[in-house]
Amino acid sequence: MVRALEKYIRPGVKSTPFCPGCGHGILMGLILRAIDDLKMDMKKMLFVSGIGCAAWIPSPHYNGDTLHTLHGRALAFATGAKLYNPDLCVMVVSGDGDLSSIGGNHLIHAARRDIDLKVICANNMIYGMTGGQAASTTPRGSKTSTTGEGNPYRPFDLCKLVEGAGATYVSRFSVTQPISLIQSIKKALLHKGFSFIEALSPCPTQFGRRNLLERPEDMIKDLIRRCILEEEAEGLTEEERAEKIITGEFLS
Amino acid sequence: MASRWVKSPFPKGTYYFSGNEAAAEGAIAAGCRFYAGYPITPSSELMERMAVRLNEIGGVFIQMEDEIASISAVIGASWAGARAMTATSGPGFSLMQESIGYAAFTETPCVIIDVQRAGPCTGQATKVGSGDIMQAKWGSHGDYQVIALSPWSSQEMYDLTLRAFNLSEQYRVPAMVMADEAIGHLRETIRVAAKVEVWDRKKKKGGAPFDIEGEDGVPPMPSFGEGERLSVTGSTHDAYGFRKTDDPKAHARLVERINKKILNHKRSIIETEDYLLEDAEMAVVAYGFTARTSLYAVKRMRKDGTKVGMLRLKTLWPFPDEAVAEIGKKVKKIIVPEMNLGQVAGEVKKYVPCDVISLSQTNGEVIQPDTIMEMLRKI
Amino acid sequence: MTGIKQVRLSGFGGQGVVLAGLLLGQAGVFDGKYISGSNSYGAQARGSGCKSEIVFSDGPVDFPHLTTADILIAMSQGAYNSYCGDVREESGLILYDQGLVTPKENLRVRHLGIPATDVSVKRLKNKQAANIVFLGVLIEATRIVSPGAIRKAISTHVSERFRSLNLKALRTGMELGRKAHG
Repeated sequence: MVRALEKYIRPGVKSTPFCPGCGHGILMGLILRAIDDLKMDMKKMLFVSGIGCAAWIPSPHYNGDTLHTLHGRALAFATGAKLYNPDLCVMVVSGDGDLSSIGGNHLIHAARRDIDLKVICANNMIYGMTGGQAASTTPRGSKTSTTGEGNPYRPFDLCKLVEGAGATYVSRFSVTQPISLIQSIKKALLHKGFSFIEALSPCPTQFGRRNLLERPEDMIKDLIRRCILEEEAEGLTEEERAEKIITGEFLS
Repeated sequence: MASRWVKSPFPKGTYYFSGNEAAAEGAIAAGCRFYAGYPITPSSELMERMAVRLNEIGGVFIQMEDEIASISAVIGASWAGARAMTATSGPGFSLMQESIGYAAFTETPCVIIDVQRAGPCTGQATKVGSGDIMQAKWGSHGDYQVIALSPWSSQEMYDLTLRAFNLSEQYRVPAMVMADEAIGHLRETIRVAAKVEVWDRKKKKGGAPFDIEGEDGVPPMPSFGEGERLSVTGSTHDAYGFRKTDDPKAHARLVERINKKILNHKRSIIETEDYLLEDAEMAVVAYGFTARTSLYAVKRMRKDGTKVGMLRLKTLWPFPDEAVAEIGKKVKKIIVPEMNLGQVAGEVKKYVPCDVISLSQTNGEVIQPDTIMEMLRKI
Repeated sequence: MTGIKQVRLSGFGGQGVVLAGLLLGQAGVFDGKYISGSNSYGAQARGSGCKSEIVFSDGPVDFPHLTTADILIAMSQGAYNSYCGDVREESGLILYDQGLVTPKENLRVRHLGIPATDVSVKRLKNKQAANIVFLGVLIEATRIVSPGAIRKAISTHVSERFRSLNLKALRTGMELGRKAHG
């Protein structure tokens, strides 16, 4: 972490808890860069998270108020805090399983209410902390500890889901697109209403090693290769497009 | 930490409130300014009144997508500085349990009113029961304490809701009002005083929010946005909220303190009432609506010369073990009538040497005076 | 028990039984009495059996539900059949809707037949006012609450749109009560 960002880290916090090659550490820094660019007052920032690896991005590392809640319920806790004290800038940082599987109902309802919450969903397409089980975001065919023959089900398109539910800022970027992701986080911070950023983050430990992307850099390279912007997707055949991940700002 | 007297937000006077309405007014009087809930019979009137009243006085009301979202929003609001509550009934109370454990472990003041109905499961939604007494204490996993009060009138729906808020703020613990359908829907004369006593949570700038030395055991509680850079977590944590997921001493210390801070103060938390017990040879131990029935039955039996009295449990958790033990020394038999299969009778048995007879009824109806009198005559 | 009067209002859902019970209890509170009121009805909102019970007392009430009715108001035959046997013998009173209820002959309880629904339809042009007509009769016949208190209760709990209708129904009921009571 560069020196300028150290002031955003809670005194007493040492190294991050993430595995080598995990994208969450990158995301952790990108969020702080966005906060630093906007000169946000950390004393008025509340970071709410659920349970799972991504929930540890803000808690306890960020030097604002942090609320590390229960599995799936981060948005409900955040809703209560924001409604009672609207002066707080409330950011929810949690994982795909937390926000969209066990917490899926809270996700669509928070989006429907368009409450001013900045939600960053660190999507590694798997349950990392509990040992690599299939998530609601695991691609069809991917191997996990509960889908040894490949996941038979379709994953959620989280951006379409929250857009359909009523979110008013929606984007998807990978941690391999750091500049775009910082810009997007800044936009979410300035947006008044329910903002949702799906931040793709590699999990070599649980996802990569089961899916022929064993070394950390393999997953990074794979994301760089597959993540394209909407306009880049236009000239592609159906087949070419199927293996790409469309990133960009979908609603702003 | 201290209490102060404030002007009642509802004009002083005599009213004809249902228990559910009275509880809403008790909450407002206690300073409740945040309500999150989900509709469920037979508690919905409480939520409806809170929607109207919080709108009138500038509080926050939100109808959430389910009950665990409701209690979670309440906890979030509490850390943002609110006196906050929710109300529900059996199935909703079940759904809330994980977050109730969170509130206990993070020492979050909040009030939950359970207007009990006939369970288990969906059971009979419009009928009465008191089958959630053990769940109130043991519903979430692990060892923790809660405070649970048992109102027996509309007046006490007001008084005990107010008290639940005060105890919750004072001890940083979830406080429950274990009402039931019969009390929630009972409409009675209630008196609202000109002033009410309210407790404020303890504040100390820079103070550790999750540990404290000494007898009290209740650390100060800052709110979000006060610049304290709080770290709140439902994982085991140290005095400043850092996760301690591998440290056996930290876990033992925290679990012990959140239990002891309640149990060490049980004498100031627990309230019971004695009726006609001085020379009694038999005692009825009762709570909630059934205590009304029991008192009626006991007075009738006294007229016939039977030496019977009643101990009323106004607090259910922490359990009034000392009051029960005291009665157990005096009488030969204790009857515990309740609208479940002996949940409190089982507790009573732990503390007395005499016979304890459980008078259970689980048909969705209140126990009638004759049922209790018949049992008293039989033994 | 002395100092306690128990009233049961009964009919079917939609007749305003619960509202009448609320007004009667509220009037009792205005008169300085200790009141315990409770209702019961089926799961559906309209058409099923429905009752509202009020216990009036000079002091705190122990058992807050009705044990034996001193007064029964029966607005349907079903309600009458269910509850007529549960009225205190000799001193009890049953008020029933003349047009809707055929009373039993062998009961040792005073009966007053009131054309409440009929009068509501013909004189008040609103069938829904029969509940309040009954309250008027009850007050005239028993003075269980004061006329001033019941008027205040109507102002407290009935929306402005229906207030004058309800007050008129009350007056009508009191007139009927005077005639019936003699």
